[in-house]
Formats: sequence, structure tokens, C-alpha cells
Amino acid sequence: MIGSPDVVAFTKEDENGEANADPWALPDEFSVPLYSPANSNPWAKTSYAKFTKDFILISEFSEQVGPQPLLTIPDDPAVCGTFDLNYFSLRIMSVDYQASFVGHPPGSGYPRLSFVEDSRVVLGDSKEGAFAYVHHLTLYDLEARGFVRPFCMAYVSADERKIMMQFEELTHRFSQASECLKTGNRRAFAKELQRKLQDLEYTRFVLRKEEGLQREAAPPGIYSPHAVEKANELANVEKSIYEHRDLLRQISSYPSRPRRDPHAAPCHKCLTECLSEYEELLDKYGTLDDALKPAAGGRVPAGKLIKARSAKCFDKRLKTLSELCDETFYGATVGVLKETERFFSGDLCYQYSRRLDRALRRKQHVTNFLFEEDLGENSKDEGETAMPVCALNHAADLRLMRPPPIVLCSQPLELEALRILDPSDPASEISYSQESDLRPGRSRLESSPSDQTLESSEDTKCSFSSDRSAEGPMNGEHSLASARSEPADPDLIFDPDLTPDGEPNMDPERRSTSECTTAGEDEAENGGDETPVSPQEDSASREFREKGEGQGDSASLEVREEGEGHGDSASLEVREEGEGQGDSASLEVREEGEGQGDSASLEVREEGEGQGGGAEMEPESSLVQLDTACCMAQDDFLYEAAVPDGLHGSPPPTPPSAVINQEPQASLPLQGDYTVGSPRLEAPTAELGLLPPGTTEDSTSRGGVSDGSDCTMSVSAGSDRAGSPLCYGGGMTLRQRKKAGQGALKFVRQYPFAVQALWCLLSGRTLVVLGSEEGSVRRLVSALALFVPGPGRCGERVQAWLSCPFTLADLHRWKLIGLQRVASPLGSCMLHSLSRYSRYISVLDADQKTLRCPPYRGTLLANVADHRTSVRRGSTFSLHVRSTLGGLASKAFLLAFTHHLHLPVCPGEGPEAVEARRQGFLQDQLGLGPEDGQILLYLSRLVAQQYLRPSPGAATPSFTFNYTTSLLYKI
Amino acid sequence: MSSGYPPQSPAVAKTEVPLDGECPLLAATFAYWDNILGPRVRHIWAPRGDQSLLLSDGEITFLANHTLNGEILRSAECGAVDVKFFVLAEKGVIIVSLIFDGELKGDKNTCALSIILPQTELAFYLPLHAICVERFQHVIRKGRIWMQKGYNIISVLSSEILPIMELLASMKTHRVQEDIDIKDTVLNDDDIGDSCHEDFLHKAISSHLQTCGCSMVVGSNPDKVNKIVRTLCLFLTPSERKCSRLCKADSSFKYETGLFVQGLLKDSAGSFVLPFRQVLYSPYPTTHIDVDINTVKQMPPCHEHTYNQRRYMRSELSALWRAVSEEDLAPESVIHAEQSFTPDLNIFQDVMNKDTLVKSFIDEVFMLKPGLALRSSYVTQFLLLIHRKALTLLKYIEDDTQKGKKPFRSLRTLKADLDLAVEGDLSIVMALAEKLRAGLHSFVFGRPFYTSVQERDVLMSF
Repeated sequence: MIGSPDVVAFTKEDENGEANADPWALPDEFSVPLYSPANSNPWAKTSYAKFTKDFILISEFSEQVGPQPLLTIPDDPAVCGTFDLNYFSLRIMSVDYQASFVGHPPGSGYPRLSFVEDSRVVLGDSKEGAFAYVHHLTLYDLEARGFVRPFCMAYVSADERKIMMQFEELTHRFSQASECLKTGNRRAFAKELQRKLQDLEYTRFVLRKEEGLQREAAPPGIYSPHAVEKANELANVEKSIYEHRDLLRQISSYPSRPRRDPHAAPCHKCLTECLSEYEELLDKYGTLDDALKPAAGGRVPAGKLIKARSAKCFDKRLKTLSELCDETFYGATVGVLKETERFFSGDLCYQYSRRLDRALRRKQHVTNFLFEEDLGENSKDEGETAMPVCALNHAADLRLMRPPPIVLCSQPLELEALRILDPSDPASEISYSQESDLRPGRSRLESSPSDQTLESSEDTKCSFSSDRSAEGPMNGEHSLASARSEPADPDLIFDPDLTPDGEPNMDPERRSTSECTTAGEDEAENGGDETPVSPQEDSASREFREKGEGQGDSASLEVREEGEGHGDSASLEVREEGEGQGDSASLEVREEGEGQGDSASLEVREEGEGQGGGAEMEPESSLVQLDTACCMAQDDFLYEAAVPDGLHGSPPPTPPSAVINQEPQASLPLQGDYTVGSPRLEAPTAELGLLPPGTTEDSTSRGGVSDGSDCTMSVSAGSDRAGSPLCYGGGMTLRQRKKAGQGALKFVRQYPFAVQALWCLLSGRTLVVLGSEEGSVRRLVSALALFVPGPGRCGERVQAWLSCPFTLADLHRWKLIGLQRVASPLGSCMLHSLSRYSRYISVLDADQKTLRCPPYRGTLLANVADHRTSVRRGSTFSLHVRSTLGGLASKAFLLAFTHHLHLPVCPGEGPEAVEARRQGFLQDQLGLGPEDGQILLYLSRLVAQQYLRPSPGAATPSFTFNYTTSLLYKI
Repeated sequence: MSSGYPPQSPAVAKTEVPLDGECPLLAATFAYWDNILGPRVRHIWAPRGDQSLLLSDGEITFLANHTLNGEILRSAECGAVDVKFFVLAEKGVIIVSLIFDGELKGDKNTCALSIILPQTELAFYLPLHAICVERFQHVIRKGRIWMQKGYNIISVLSSEILPIMELLASMKTHRVQEDIDIKDTVLNDDDIGDSCHEDFLHKAISSHLQTCGCSMVVGSNPDKVNKIVRTLCLFLTPSERKCSRLCKADSSFKYETGLFVQGLLKDSAGSFVLPFRQVLYSPYPTTHIDVDINTVKQMPPCHEHTYNQRRYMRSELSALWRAVSEEDLAPESVIHAEQSFTPDLNIFQDVMNKDTLVKSFIDEVFMLKPGLALRSSYVTQFLLLIHRKALTLLKYIEDDTQKGKKPFRSLRTLKADLDLAVEGDLSIVMALAEKLRAGLHSFVFGRPFYTSVQERDVLMSF
């Protein structure tokens, strides 16, 4: 038998034990849980919420049935699930949100419209796991009790923190929707008043007629009961006319009332337009006296007879929300709300971090061009409460947005104190905002150099296409997304440059906020974004799938998607492309001239050798306020003279000794790896002079070739240099970036020598991706484009698909080229160009799975190109790449702007000492080997060039080479 | 009193709080739902000072009653404290209400603790909302116990309302600005050792980042303290800077729970007494920086801090529950009455985790010429870098665990894949990720009650 002391030992209460409940133990309802639910799973918000995603709920406090839900956005029952909308409507509408008198004040002769400001409430139902931002507003209805109909628009979410953290943005957007709805309601209300007045006048006319007949029929001085009744009816109607005219006057006075809500977002253009309508109505009906005069000329007023006592009881049908509002305004309101739902949908974590990312990038203009996507020129800070914009695309006037003083009164503003706004009255509180240019951003997209080099039909052998055709797999999703997100009214599309803190429905990043975090997106990722364990298998299946999906009218679908992402860019781009084609001939002529003019000054300098001078200081006010007396202005700063862009400005003078006047010969004859068919028959020759003219170069660059000098690079505009793909660089949407990340991850896993290829790109050596299948080449280019420094807003430094030989000028311009392998005489020319320029380029053969490039022994890229990486998804890898590239950009910035690495620290110090110090910095301070140092030197040079001669979008074209022997890497 | 308001209840008591300077708070109220009379106001706290705006008692009563409207439908879990936030443009005020249930006169009532501010202070208040709510929620927990015992809740509530008023008043005058000029920071020095020792600066920034940007800077020289405060604030987001406070030149502020960075002045004897409870109740672990003796200490990482915090809260509430008289319930003495809980007062430890991220940043930023925008730009790039690393880490774990459905077991591969092999680097990035996704530390490092030492053992075993 176990003794009691032994039992006691086993029954001792532990911290969470239930045994021997202590009467002094703190009950759970008064305690806090030791472990927060978030600790077990930080991704689980309130798992007990009965709805699957955030939604917008519009509810009404109906005078007949009480609080009731009217509609949800999105209008999908699956979103709300089993969540009780009726109960929640009751909860949110039962808040005494205004506590102001509405309706007929005691002692007042006429009913008064109460112009109450909107209220905003954040509340929740912790039991249901539902929290809401609730925006209360009041609409006017002639048939309603007190003429008011209380409504609310609620953003319902399971995440309370999300609502509070974005309270100001929610306020702004819902205020915008509310103002739009209320403006439309006032308009509808005024029209309803107009109709009612017409009917009343008609009724009065009929009654007067009847009364006159009865008065004539009866003996003088004697009034029959029927006549008395008619007279009373007439009096009532006239009173009613007075009342309705007064209501019309009141509603007309709305625009001139001072606002007490500093966060209201009224559109003064809408108000002004409505005001003019009201004035017309008032003019039309004149004064009450005029109205009561007998109709002139026996005119019978149009209208219908109104019964003496209108029904104000519960059997009447109240107007629906859409009937209460002008159709245009209602559509615009719903559009705004739909966009708002999309904007806030998704995980707060990613929304917040994306905002933070943008805000930080906005502060570092100098290096953004290297690897960052375009932020937009006119976009404001995310956190900033931007200028309110009307849902109907009217610009607003911020001058009217003064915060009013605190008001604590229970009475509504006295309407007598108000007056109808007179636009000509200088004392008026409201100034009429001039409609500003509604499309200031239209001119923002400039035609890229690639656009300008669109070829006419001269060179029909070369096939070019924009990258859109390679977007097959995405098109289905995009078309669906675009179909879903298309506003009901095409007129309601937002202007991307007018909307606050980044345009709601046009900003690609914001739009993708919901894309990347919603359940649908995750599912898509699970299915499509997951990097397979076996890349080969997945590659085959993926390629097959993509081929299948990629066919069809992908271009048109892609255009539509772009339109969603970039505002009105879709039509613009299409138009530009068309223009580009149409103008290609003239462009060609002009650029030829420019190219020739520039050719003499183009130079190729050996890397690390040049001490280029002549880089002149061109301080730009648009840049970060850096020191204009910085080291970059000094001669010794630039390691090499900036190779001028034939399309951008004139080149700086350079020392003649630095110019290489010799045509570089291929260091090694290319092996048959790059040939198609019989390599022996098409073996390239290194002697350019043996080649028949016209087979390798277009007419423009032929002169340079025949001279045998590559210092006379001419910018070729005459060949089929198609428009660069729009999805690289600055123009990339998040989805495209994720897809590119997926491709890059696949590349890194599939090719053990991926790090060599990345090093080539990051150190400025042009990489040619050679392949016979366009799809695979394009995919590789798309993936590798992530690593091209300064790819340009429109991907000017990337040529996704080229099917004709390239020239030296092309290497100057393009840093990543997809090249078609063809079995034809043209193919031999291409191979020849590969061979000829092998010193300058690296060649990745997509068919043979080989890479020819100089060896890389550094460590800087090891982490981003480790084929054993456990990163699972393309989006994650894309983030990792961005992080790594951001670090490189930061180091490049440091190198570019550190004075003593470019300037002599004492008078007698020569350039060699500075160079030695620079190398010492790279090796000792940063711990970089020679190859890694090349990356930073190249990037810092781009930074310096961009700072001194900023070019919109892409980095200044540059060209470097070295004499390091290339090696052939195989899988 | 305005005629538009209902008559004030004769039972409403009022406490006037004398404050230095302007307090943006108009009033605080405690109201409850009387089962017969409806919403009633029980107590009003109003600041007495240089108030540009004052509400009459009637107005306050009206607004306080307002907060309970609709709460008759309340169906929250017992003990839940719900937050309601009103912006009443018609009245020009914002009201923050915490709704809870409590026992009054033997009945279960719905109660509301509210604060009222002018609507013009919305932008000022919003960044501080989480701090105020967090602090009020805990005082309400204590107040509910008192109500349950039949004691007056007002004194408990006063113990937090008054400090909140002081906090808001002090933030009005000494809040760190959203935009910090780098010239006011240590990073503008010509050389790294000009203002403070190199290793001290490195440790301070590194630990500051490892503790989620939450630090207190103490010292005798207010200029020196504020310079470090501003320096640390460079590494915060704009909204976090709005939750940071400079030190007062003539006298010291009290330590305030929840602020990100705060400067505190030592007394004439050269000491500063830290309130243990308040420091432990901070949402994040804190770095303690003494600019007089150049020391940097830090609290344990997030998961351990949270665990300690909750244990202490439970102990404090248990002590209240066990108290037999109101004398036992003096707010600052309760924890000592608890026999079973012996808090580890040595909560600040040396900074153990060395990092390379901040080290190289410090080394490099001073190479750039001071007085220009170069260093600001470099700071921005550094922030962007660590922010992206945090996001990548978060995404990596999210992918690996299928959004938390599976336990995370691949810390070693994470460190290799994301180049976070150095412990300090991992701590910095994890701390940033914790701010983005609360609970990440506990999720990643397993059992939340691991001590830092145990955790280090776990990490080193990989």
C-alpha cells in the first residue's frame, strides 16, 4: 500500500495542473494566457473568424425593418461564409454614431435637412473574430422619415491591427466613396424634388380648376362641403409646394456650408457641377409666388396628380441604395469600394513591408536605377495622406481641406447662416478649383532607345517580337484578374497620377499586394510557384505546359494586364509601338547620322587600365543632395572614361592612348558547340576580312567593320533591333518579378555554373544566351535579367530574342541577349559574330547546357547562386536576390562616393597610389577577391555615371572587356 | 453646460489632474451600463493645465454615454477587453473606449474606460494608440479583480490614466520628429570615435536592432543622451519614431512602457531607478544604454521576454486576487506580496551576439564625407538591406512551414541559405521579422520558455 506521503508527492500541483483546485487560484477569466496564440502559429490571425477574407459591407438602418445588410464587396457568398451579416449589421448600426438631431426641429415651420458629417468607428466582435472600420453616412430620401436614410460602409477584417494601422488610409478611401455617394444622392434628391414639385404644381392646377368650377357651380357665399374639402386640399398642396421649395433651397445650399470634418474628401468640381444644376432648378421654379400664380396662357403643368395625403406608412417601398443615388455616382462609388477592397485585401505584414520598402527606396535615388523597379515620378509617400481625389476623376483642391476648430454642439448648423455659393463672390469660402491636367503622367513614358530602333521591314530575315508573347502561362490568370477588376463604368478608371499614395487600381505594386497574399495567390503559388525537387522533370513539364498555354492571343491579354498595372500605359504602349514602327525609317536615318557622328569618339578601354578624364560635373537638382564637390568631379575618380551612348549626349574627350585601334581577334576559335547542324561546314572564321560584306553586318555598321577597328562602334539602328521587352527592369510587375525569380531559382539549381553567368552580368560582361527554341531562351533571359545592372525602365539593356548577328554597338547597348541558333547562312553569320566578339561576351548555350566565360573564383555571389539552396519558391528567391543585389548596390555606392579612394590624400600622390588604395579597400576593407572587386568597380562606375549624367531609366551604356581566357563550363 | 445635453448625473465624481504643459487629452471617463438607467458615467478625469480646449462635464458625460451605445448587444467572451475607436467629426472629437464586463453592486455590467481627444490630434494619437490600449488593457484586468472583490475600481484606473496623461503631454513636447537630420546624430561625426567609442556605438546600434528597436538611453548630459536617442531613431520607421521621446533637459521623465526609444536623465546622484514592472511590460525587450559609462545591456530575446512578461502579469494578478484587504492592493506593492514568484531582477544582460551587419555598416559609413546627404543615403540603404533580409527570412520560414502548419526544423539551412550564419546578424534580422510577424521567435525557437542560454546551446548545436 502506498503511503500518504508518497501520494502527496505525485499530486503536487504543477503550474498548469488541474488537480486540487486552489480556491485562491486566479480564475482564467481574470488572468492572461501564458502563451499567446500567435506563438503557436504567427500566420494564424483569428482562426475562428467565419469569413475567409476581408470584405466591405454596406448596411442600412431601415425605418421599416431595422439594420439590414445591403451588399458586400466582393459579391461572393463564399467570402462571407457562415458569418452572420444580419447580426453584424445590427452591431455596427446600433452605434449612436451621430447623436445629432435630424428631421423636423420643434418650433420650426418647415422640415429641415440636417447636414451631418460622417462618423468613423472601429469596433469589433471579439467572439466572432470580426473587426470593422465603419463609416457612417446619411443619405436623403423624400419618402423617408425625416428625409434621412442612415447607411454605413464597413471594411470587415479578422485582423484588428490591420484596421488600426491603416486607419488613415481607410478613412481617406471611404471618405472618398462617401462623398461620391452623397453627391450623387443630393443630385437624385434634387431631381426627386423637381419631380415632386412638378406633380404638386400639376395637382395644384387641377385642384384650383376643380375648386373654381365648384365655386362657380355653388351659390355665391355658400360653400359646399366638397368645395371646402377641395380648398383645404389646395391649401395643403400649396403648403407642400412651399416645403419642397424650401427643401430644394436647402439642398442647394449644401456646397456652401462649412465642413466640420477635416478628413472629408469632397470633390469641389462635383459640388460645383451640382450647384449649377440646383441653381437651374431654383431658377426654373422661381419663387413660390411665381409658382402660385395661375399658369400663364392656360399652360397645363406637366405631372401627375398627387393624393392629398401621401402615404407615409410601412406599406410603402423604400428606395434601394442605387435608386437613392445618381447612376453615375453610384457606379463610381461601387468602383471606389471595389478598388478599396482590393487595395486592403491581403496580409498586413506584406502590405506594410512593401510600403516600407517603397519609402526607403524613394530616399535613395542614386542607386535605384541599378536593380530596383521604377517607383514612379509623381507618386507620394505611402504613409502620406495624399490629395483627395474624386471617384469621378476630378482633381481636388487642397486649399479647402483646412482642419476646422473643435465643435461641440448638439444642434446642426443653421441653414439661414448659409448662403448659396456664388462663384463670382470673392468672399465665398469655396474657391472653384480649376480642373487640372487629368493626365499628367501620360507623357511620362518615354519611348526607349529600343523603341526607337524598331526596324522597318528591310531585314525580313530577322524575327523580333516583344516579350509579351512569352507570357503565356500568366495570361489566363491575368485575363481573369483583369476581367474581375474591370470597373463597371469605363469612365471611372482612375488616373494613376492623381490618386493618393500610389494609385489604387493602377499601381502594380499595390495591386499585387492582394495578389501575393490572398488565398488564391497562395494556391496559385502552391501549384505553380513551387520549385520542383527535380528541375529537369519539372522543366520538361513546365515547358510543355507553357507552350500549350502560351499560344493564343497572349499579346492582347498581356496588353490588358499591363493596362491594369500601369494605369493607362497599355494603350499608350501599343500606340507608341505603332508609332515606332511607322517612324522607323526616319528614325533610322537620323540615328545613323548620330551614330556616325559619335563613332569616332567611341572607345573601348581595357578594364582597369584607364584613368579616364573628362568626366564633367553635371549637378542635377533632381538627385539626392549629394556634394557636388564630391570626388566624382575629379579627374581621378573614374576608372575608365564613360563610353558615350550614341543616343544620349556627346562623349567626353578621352586620352587617345586609351583607345584601342585594333580590331580584336577572337582569342580562341569557337568550338562547334555553338553550331547547328554540321559545325565543320559552318566553322566560323576569325578573319573578318574574309567574310563577304553584307553577310555579317547591316549597312550601317559595315563601315566600322571594314575598317577593322572597333573603336568606331556605331550605334546601329538599321537592323532588326526590336523593342526591348517591357517586363524587365523598372517596368516589372511583382508578378513578373516573382516569375523571373522562379526562373532564376530554376537556373541556379539546374546549372552548377550559374554563379559564373551571374558574375558576367554583374561585372558588365555581356551574356549571350544561345538557343534554338525561342521559349527556353526567353525564359532564361527573363530569369537572368534580374541580375542585369541598370536594365532600364523598359529593359533597354536586355534583348530577349535576336535572330540576326549582333554588332559591337549592340554589345555596348545590350548586356543580356537572347540569340537564336539557326541552321542557315544567316546562322553562320551569327556564329561568326559570336566568335568575333568572344573576348567581350560570355555565351550560355541553352541547347548544349554550356557556358563559355572567364572563370570566377569569388565568394560574393556564392550565396545567391548556390545550387543546393533550400529556398523553395520563386518569390522567396526573388526577395533573396533583391536583398543581395541591394547589398551590392550599397557597397557600390560606398565605393563611388568614398573620397580617398579616388583622390590623392597628399599633393605628391600619383594615380598609382590611389589605385593601390582602391584595390586595398576592396581586398582589405571589403574582403573581396579580384573578380568580386570587378563587380563593385563596375557597379560603382555605373553609379558614378548615372550621377554625373543621369539618363532616364537605364544605366549609361558601357562596354568593357579583359584578356582573361574564357573557359567552357558544362553540366 | 450646453442645453443640448442630458442632465449630468449627480453621482459623477471628477478628478482634475494637474499637468505641466499642454495635454492633448480632453478627458478620461469610466462609464457603465446600468441595467435600469442605461449608460451612466461614474468618474471623470480631466487635465488641469494649459488646456486650449476644455470640455464641460455635460459634454464629457454625453460622449462617455455615447461609447456604451450598442453594447447591450455585446456577446464577448468573459474577461475580454474590446476596443472601440470613434472619430466623431460632428463633435470634433476622437474617443477611444475599452469595453469590458465587471461586477458593480453585485451585478454584471458592461463598462467602458474611455479617453477623449480633439479630432485635430488624430495624427498625433494614432501612432500611440497601441501603447495606450496595451496599458489600459492591463489596468482593466487588475480593475476587474477589484470590482469582483467589491472594491473601488477608480483608484486602480487612476494609477494608469494619470501616467497616460503625462505620457501624452510629454510626447507633445519631446517626441522625436519623423524626419531626423543626420547632423543631430553621432553618424555625422568626422570620425567614428569623436562622440563615443567605436565599440560602444556598434554595440548600441546592434543591440538596439536586436531588441526590435526598443531602447532606453540614460545619462547625465541631456545633449549627449538626445544625440544617441536620435542616432538610434535613425534605424526606426517614421511611425516608430513618433513613439520615441527625447530626454528633458532640466528634469527627468519617468520611464514609459511601450515607447521605442526614450532618453532618461539621471538624478543628481548619478543614478536612475528603473521600474522593473514597467520595463518588463514593454511589448519588446529593451536595450539599456548608459552614455556616461558607455555600457550596453539588453534584455533576453522576444520569446523569452514575452514569456517572462506573461508570467509576471499572471503573478501580479494572482497577488491581487489573493489580497484580503484594500491595503494589500497598493498597485506597486502587490508583487512583493506574492510569495511564490521571485522575479529575476537581473533582466539586463551583456550583448553576447556579435554581428557583422552593423559592424561593417559602422566601419563604412564613416568613410563617407560628413555633412552631406551621403551618410543619410547609406543609412537608408542599410535599412533597406536589413529590412529585405527580414522579409526574405519571413518568407523562407513561411514556405518551409506552410504558413506555420508544420514546425520549423531547418534553422541551419536557413542560416546558410540566407547568409545569416553569424548569431548577431540572425538576431537582428529575426527581431525585424518579429515586428512584421509577431510570435515568430517563439515559433522558430520552439518552446517559448527556453532561456537565452538554452537557446544559444540549441543554436550552437547546429
